[in-house]
Amino acid sequence: MRILISLILILITSNFSNSQTTVNPDISAIGEFNMFTNFNRGTPEYGKLNFDIPNAELYVEGYLNPYARATLNVAFHEGEFHGEEIYANIVRGLPLDIQIKAGKYLLGFGKINTIHPHAWSFIYRPLFQQIYFGEEGFNDIGFDVSFFLPTGDVYTTLDLGIFKGDALSIQHGHTEEHQHESEEEHHYEVDRGNSPIFVGRVGSFFSLTDFSNLEFGLSGSYGVYNRLDFFTSIDSNAIPDNKSLKYFYGGIDLKYKYRPDSYNQLILQAEFLWNARNVLRKNDLDIDSEEEINTFGAFIYIDYRFNRIFSIGAKYDFTYGIVGDEPNYNTTANDDQNKTSGIESWFGYYPIEETLALRLGIQHLMFNYADGFDRDGETTINLQLIFSLGPHKAHPF
Amino acid sequence: MFKNILIILSIFTSVTAAQIKVVTTTTVIYDLVKNIGGEKVEVDYLSRGDQDIHFLEILPSYMLKLRNADIFFEIGLQLEMWAPQIIDGSRNSDLRIVYLSDEIKPKEVPTTKVDASLGDVHPDGNPHYWLDPYNAKIMSREIYNELSLESPENDSYFKTNLDNYLVKLDVKIAEWESKMSQLKQKEIVFFHSAWTYFADRFGIKIAGYVEPKPGIPPTPSHNAYIIQLIKKKNIKLIVMDVFYSDNAPNQIASLTGTKVLKIPTQVYGEENIKSYIDLIDNIVNKITTNG
Repeated sequence: MRILISLILILITSNFSNSQTTVNPDISAIGEFNMFTNFNRGTPEYGKLNFDIPNAELYVEGYLNPYARATLNVAFHEGEFHGEEIYANIVRGLPLDIQIKAGKYLLGFGKINTIHPHAWSFIYRPLFQQIYFGEEGFNDIGFDVSFFLPTGDVYTTLDLGIFKGDALSIQHGHTEEHQHESEEEHHYEVDRGNSPIFVGRVGSFFSLTDFSNLEFGLSGSYGVYNRLDFFTSIDSNAIPDNKSLKYFYGGIDLKYKYRPDSYNQLILQAEFLWNARNVLRKNDLDIDSEEEINTFGAFIYIDYRFNRIFSIGAKYDFTYGIVGDEPNYNTTANDDQNKTSGIESWFGYYPIEETLALRLGIQHLMFNYADGFDRDGETTINLQLIFSLGPHKAHPF
Repeated sequence: MFKNILIILSIFTSVTAAQIKVVTTTTVIYDLVKNIGGEKVEVDYLSRGDQDIHFLEILPSYMLKLRNADIFFEIGLQLEMWAPQIIDGSRNSDLRIVYLSDEIKPKEVPTTKVDASLGDVHPDGNPHYWLDPYNAKIMSREIYNELSLESPENDSYFKTNLDNYLVKLDVKIAEWESKMSQLKQKEIVFFHSAWTYFADRFGIKIAGYVEPKPGIPPTPSHNAYIIQLIKKKNIKLIVMDVFYSDNAPNQIASLTGTKVLKIPTQVYGEENIKSYIDLIDNIVNKITTNG
């Protein structure tokens, strides 16, 4: 990683010293700073003004040649650098007008996952993404092929990809429950073997009127999420069966935007994820058995931008699993008993274009345990400042 | 009867087969292409006449428009910063991209380092050159060259259309210059720095802008400065494009007695503006009537 950072610094300094030329890539930086307090008794942050370590993303992107682009995104998150996205994208010139993207990047499962948090209307990552994708979203190494489908006046693409599966086998977590805590980070890793995972999405864009548009997408992901030894005999000396546990995620996403002019805009967006997977469970005789569980998560939000510089919105979230628990795939995504729901609302102020944003958000989480455990809801208030330096491109629709 | 059907079919196929598919970023270019390309060209545009061309949202429907296009005409001078993403999304590897600014002499080209502290300054110069009708003639010639390259067999057709259109423009330019002569050296406050080429052509003096810097929304302190400026110089008009909020200009007008004119700078910016000639007619008539 040090070599990577050194290379980027050399690139930046050479860029400044030589001034911008057409052969230089675009270099942009996004900064994010959060201050928060919560009303959760017993936590160290309770009632206090807490400051997070600022997050940052450095983008280096541009055309490699007339047919291909490349993007390098190094993130500084919770005090550590890591390569968030490193990929090349062949955008034209291939047979059947396909596009190919290869490297490490946010996967096209649903609409929100491909968009970096600084560009979201809301502040907090959707709860079901935290449970089924982890805290950094569905981000993996591999490649996908994007096909353009001939559907007349409707713009439709089909993306099919194959990925290493790191997104499912390695998760980052904290010893403390709260997401803002900057304690020593732990990695939870499961053995999946060398099985790749598959991710696909078909998305259609409908232009309803001059001022309103709708995008609808269906996503799917399939693969092995874990390999475990199954003890299927009461004989403790018996050799266990090593079995692959498979999962299937199905997703629906919908985005509607009404934009009568450049000063006002209304967005209604929702996503749904269905999780079907095999899990290992102990039966009454303390013998392992394989079960199939079906759980789901979803969110819906509305955001209204007015007078160009203000926005107000609200989001409702629901998911199986307890958000904030250690993101181990045997305790969160495999949880078909307990549930988390949340309400978030925000007020945003964008003084000049999108280069600077101030957002005040409040989120209230509610936990529902199947065994009747009574846990208080958690309320957090967050004041966020985001700046965007450089020519980083806006996201399409 | 059979012969008639064959003739009709041959006419139909010759027209459709020869059609060049063109997409333009603005409705002004769209109108110029229609005039020169005529029935040999199938043309569409991306930005509506009532939209701010600087900030067009990147929609997949625009990618669809470019998907089968032969030529994509842009204003250039980094006005359409959003265009590369739409071009990439179209997956059209045969698309020819033409910047109509290539033969234009740009104004207000920065001579110092450009950064965001200066507002939305275009590093290659002010891109609003189409508001000078002489530049529309240069754009028309450039469009003719490109259409002719794309379809050499129709060169004479395009040339005739170009010549006819330039004659029409020359007649209108003489009329516009005559009308605007009464406003020579007249000082006007504009909202955004889109009017430099128009003002220079017709001898209007730009007293100031409601925007404190290009693309930066009005601020109370700058409004106060503009109010003082208007009072001191006895300025009668504030001219602005239709897609901007008129809150600040109206406040200034209420304190100074100036008149605020909202005028489109693109074709179809208002219902009655259906061509480039309509567009400049409308601007000239409104400014001369109220100036």
